Formats: sequence, structure tokens, C-alpha cells
Amino acid sequence: MGLEIIADIRKDYVCNLVRGGKREEGRGFREYREISVERDIIKRAEGSARVKIGDTEVLVGVKVELGEPFSDTPDKGVIITNAELVPLASPEFESGPPNENSVQLARVVDRGIRESKAIDLKKLCIEEGEKVWIVFIDVHVLDNDGNLVDAAALGAIAALLNIRIPNERYGLTGENTLPMRDTPVAVTMAEVEGNILVDPNFNEENAATSRLTVISNADGSLSGMQKSGSGGLKEEEVVEMVEIGIEKAREIREKYLSPL
Amino acid sequence: MYKVVVPGDFISEEAERAGEGTYVEDGKVYAMNYGIVEEREEIKVVALSGKYMPAKGDVVIGRIAEISFPFWIVDIASPYEARLHVSEFAEGRDKIEFGSMSRYLDVDDFIVAKVMDVNVLMRIELALKEEFKMSGVGRLVEIPHTKVPRVIGRSGSMIKTLKEKCNCFIFIAKNGRIWIKGSEADMNLASEVILKIVNEAHTSGLTDRVTNFLDSFRRDKEKGEEK
Amino acid sequence: MKEGTERKLIIDGKRLDGRGFEELRPIKIEIGVLKRADGSCYLEVGDNKVIAAVYGPREMHPRHAQDAKMAVIKYRYNMAPFSVDDRKRPGPDRRSVEISKVSREAFDPVIMKEYYPKMAIEVYVEMLQSDAGTRTAGINAASIALADAGIPMTDLVSSIAVGKIDGEVVLDLTGVEDNNGEADMPIAMIARTNTITALQMDGHLTKEEFKRGLKLAMGACHQIYELQRAALIERYSKSEEREEKKRD
Repeated sequence: MGLEIIADIRKDYVCNLVRGGKREEGRGFREYREISVERDIIKRAEGSARVKIGDTEVLVGVKVELGEPFSDTPDKGVIITNAELVPLASPEFESGPPNENSVQLARVVDRGIRESKAIDLKKLCIEEGEKVWIVFIDVHVLDNDGNLVDAAALGAIAALLNIRIPNERYGLTGENTLPMRDTPVAVTMAEVEGNILVDPNFNEENAATSRLTVISNADGSLSGMQKSGSGGLKEEEVVEMVEIGIEKAREIREKYLSPL
Repeated sequence: MYKVVVPGDFISEEAERAGEGTYVEDGKVYAMNYGIVEEREEIKVVALSGKYMPAKGDVVIGRIAEISFPFWIVDIASPYEARLHVSEFAEGRDKIEFGSMSRYLDVDDFIVAKVMDVNVLMRIELALKEEFKMSGVGRLVEIPHTKVPRVIGRSGSMIKTLKEKCNCFIFIAKNGRIWIKGSEADMNLASEVILKIVNEAHTSGLTDRVTNFLDSFRRDKEKGEEK
Repeated sequence: MKEGTERKLIIDGKRLDGRGFEELRPIKIEIGVLKRADGSCYLEVGDNKVIAAVYGPREMHPRHAQDAKMAVIKYRYNMAPFSVDDRKRPGPDRRSVEISKVSREAFDPVIMKEYYPKMAIEVYVEMLQSDAGTRTAGINAASIALADAGIPMTDLVSSIAVGKIDGEVVLDLTGVEDNNGEADMPIAMIARTNTITALQMDGHLTKEEFKRGLKLAMGACHQIYELQRAALIERYSKSEEREEKKRD
């Protein structure tokens, strides 16, 4: 019973703030916490990035390996996205097989990259039907203070922007870089007491009944959306969240994903 | 006739009369259950299906599931278990001791009990009254609790017909369990009729059809034909 | 979503199966089809065949996951191995896990969980034959199965997907359209209040296409709601007719 009571108190605290037009640490409703993106920090990975949004911290590592293509796409490389909510990141994470939260996180991050066609999979083909590059995107959550999706998605793109194709390891010649065709950015908003809060922290996520993640591309078009949570949203709220999502994505793209 | 509603159907603007099976939103009464609207002093939706949820005052037939001193844990055909405290076992004897509970009621025994209390955490307390002891032989059948009102009938008309024409003792508990006592043949007839009522519960003219069925059965029996 | 071969999905203004852009596939509903389940529904949408079953409220396992104040809802979406062209290995895959979560959350706002503390309400959705739109068909069937089981709810939930094919926003994609199309957006909604309880999208949509698609999907959910409701109401008058026929 102890944990539940604390959750109620936390929820009331956030709701009271929001009703008074405020958020924790004086943040505006449309404001992100402080974001930092460090690229290329894991030597052994072919691409990596460490993203912090407020106290949420996510490490994304990209490994590129040689493999076989899927039978129905013989001329295309493969992207595989995985997310680990490791126990050290939060008292609520348990060790064990991926649970629904880590599966959802991985699939939403994957969606943005795949649907925006940010990576030209054909460029990952070495020998049609035989050899392609397999790009493993592994999201490692280190500290959960809310909004893992945006941090993970940002980390994935940042890691991919400087991906190194390990030709030498396999005795191959070829391009060592892989230019990205787009930079999809995920923006998550929570609905609390009828208000839209951008980048909900852990307390706000628990107080919110619904959350919507909007993934948009450099030209403002949409490549993914995901609603989560136990509440309902009205059409006008969804439309407004999409507008805000596209706008905030633009800001983040300019500030953190410009070419090095 | 009757009006079938689904969850979310609007029923009435009279929020003060909202009863079981409904909820109120913005001063309007909506259906919460998939069921039939009943408008008397209260507006209710009688559910067509669903598990039996005990309420204070219900008389139920329970099966002893476990002995856990000082309680018997009783299965009352509900998602929730009920319990019967040793002190409720009014036999006029001395206090029942740990280890001797099974001498009074053992696992798989059936009892008729009254629901004395249901608290917020769904703790259900039962009491066993002298006049509710199940004694003698008989048969126990179980029907969906939602059909119990139909088997009883308006002002008890249906069950009265059953008892007379089947020549059986029939006791229907709120939780859908029915205790029948009579000759083998009579109990078979009663069981068959009860099943018929359950399957046709929502149709009209059922009481007459049941009466006719029983009358024709008797007539054929008298003619010496086996049905 | 796979990148399509250049296959035309709209010919002479009509879709490959002859439907208009805003037309639903035919829907068939049967209620109470399983004997052992507390509630059940068999539903077809075009070539999709789905069966939903509800067990509960019943004891929640594992015990430590019980909620002292309300019922816990479990939802398991699963595809039978023979339901798709390339046999699907039995057991949950990541896609099923995600769909199960999103579907369960679609019902969270309507199920009155407070009536059954410590219990579980379990929804099982099995896809027997798949032709795109399986998760939405599952949600539609689950709504009916929950009502059939007597679970108290504020409303039924209705669900459909819209997508984009050959640059056009259309309703209720078939498998061919989904595989070769440019976007897919399933939603779930409470028709009475126009409240969206599930929303996902993948592919490519402009903001305008998204808004148009959302309106189209919401309108279709109203149509589906009418079908769900009619099926539940008819279930009891149908039996009445059957009895009358027997007597004649």
C-alpha cells in the first residue's frame, strides 16, 4: 500500500501546480528541460550518443554487422531497434525479459527512423540476396525521470548521424559513412487537468491520464504517432498536440542535430 | 415489453432516480450494464450477464472450500470468497475448538447462509441460521444468478407453479444455486423446467408456456406414456 | 511497412476491391460463441477473422500484482500461426506485445474497475485470419465480448484504421493496401463522447492529411458503434423470434 499512497500524493502535487499555471522548477507548459547530446562516446560502437533531458539519461549505441537480408527485401539492409530498461535506471525497473514498456519504447523509436526513411536501406546492401549491413540500434536507459521516448529517439538519430560502416573489419571496401536523408524528432506531450505539457517528467507522467508522442520530419511531415496512457483525448487536443509536436521538433532539430 | 440497453446508452434526465446498473454524467443517467431497463421508483439496468456480487442481506447457498480457523472459507459462486466465523455456527453448544471445525462443517459441505456484511475490500461475512440448515437428500443445481428473478417470477408466480406441478421442495438462493428435494423423477422434471426457463428467460409468455408444458407432461404421465 | 513495388492501388478512382475511399469492408458479428468464456464475440471485417473472449472478474495472478482498490485489466492480442501467409511462430512477438498494451489502454477509460477490487478482467483476442486492420477488429470484438461478460462499462469502444494509398487518404486498408501504401493510422474511440482512447500512426502524412484522416476515422467509428450496438440488442430479440418459430 505504501507505494500507492506516495503515487497519489505525487499526482495531486503535479495537478495542483498545473491548475495554478505552473510546473516543477518553474518550467513553462511548452518548455523542454535542459537537453544535452554527446556524440561518439562509445569507442567500440559504430555510432553512439548520450542524451540527457533534465535528469533522464539515455545511452544509445549503434552496432553494424554483416548479415543476410530478409527474403522479401533482398536488396535492402536491416535495422533492428531494441531498448533496455535496466534495473539501475529506476526502482520500478526489474531485470528479466523485455516487458511491454521496453517493447513499446523500442518500436516507437524504430518507427520514426524507419518511416521517415532517414536511412536509405538500399545503401546498406553489399550483395543482393546475400550480404547486407545490419544496423543494431540499442537504447540503454540509465536514469528514468520521465519521457524516455524523446531521449531515446534523439539519441538514436544522433548516434546514426555519425555512423561508421566497419568495412575493414570484414575486409571490404566501400563507403565508411552513411548519410542520413532525414532527421525525425519525437516530441512527447502529456495531458494533465486539460493542459498540454511538453516533455513530461516522471511525476508528470504519473499524474497524466494520456500521453501523445508525435514524430515529425525535417519538412514538417509526420512519420509516427503513439498515444499511451489510460485516458482519452479529444480531436482538438490531438490536433493541437500535433501542431506543437512539429514546432518543438523543429527547435530540437536546429539546436541538437545540425551536422557536426 | 422490455428495453435492452448497452453500456453508454442514454436512459433519462432524472439523475435523482439513478439506481443499480446506471451511472450519472452531467446530470444524465446512462446504462453501465448490458441489460434490461427497469423503471420503478429507481431507474435500474438489470444485467443480462455477469458474476454474482454479494450484497448484505442476500441468502446464498455456499460450498465449504477451506478450513482456516476460526473461519470456514466459503465459495458462494462469486469471484470473491466469503467466510463464516465459528461463532456464527449457532448450535447452542460450547465454543468450537481449533482442529474440530471439520466435525461441524467439512470441505465440500453445502450450507445456506445469509450475507451479514460486505466491506469495501470485499470481505464477505456470512451467518448460518438454524432455519437455513440444508438437511436431507436432494439435488443442487446452479444457474446464472441473473436468471434467478425469472425462475422466481413476478410475486413468486413461477416458482409457485414449479413447486406445485413438480411436487418438489425448491429453494432458490440469490447466487444462482437451487436446492431441489423430491423423488428422482420429480427432481428430473424440475431440473428440466428450470433449464428451460433459463434458456428462454428473456422471452414473453414464458409463465404460460411453462405451465402448459408441465400440465401436458402430467397428462401424458397419467396416460401412461413415458416422456 | 514495406516499401512497395510500384503497384497501383487505385484504378479509375476505385480501390482494388471496388470500394470507395471512405467505405468500410463488410462486418459480421456473432456474440456468445464460446461456452467456457464469460463473454465472447466472433467478428469479421473483410477477410479478417477474429475471436475475442473475456474471463472475469476472477482472481488475479500473480497475487503481488493485485490492486487492492480495483480490478486489473489484462489484454492479450495473439495471431494464430496459420493466420498469415508466412507462418507466424506461435507465442508473443514484440508486435503483439505492443498491440496488447495499446489495446488494453484503449479500454482503460471505459471499464469500471473500482467495482472489482483485487480481481483481474482478462481479454483474449485471437486473430484466426489476417488481412490488415487486425488490432482494430480485435478491439471491436473485445468491446462486445466485455459487454457479453457483464463487465460494467461507461461505453463501448469502437476502432478502425485509415491510411494513405497512391497519395489518397482512405478508410480501412486491406493487406495489399497496407503493404504497398504510404501510411497507416489505427484509432479507437468512444462514439458517444468522441473521445479517442487509442491512436497510432506510421508512414508518411502531412499535417493536413493527418487531420483529414483523423476525421474520416472518427466518422467510421460511429458507423461501427451502430453495428456493435445493434448486434448486442438484436441478440435478445433474435432469441425471442426463434422461440416463436418453434411454437408454430
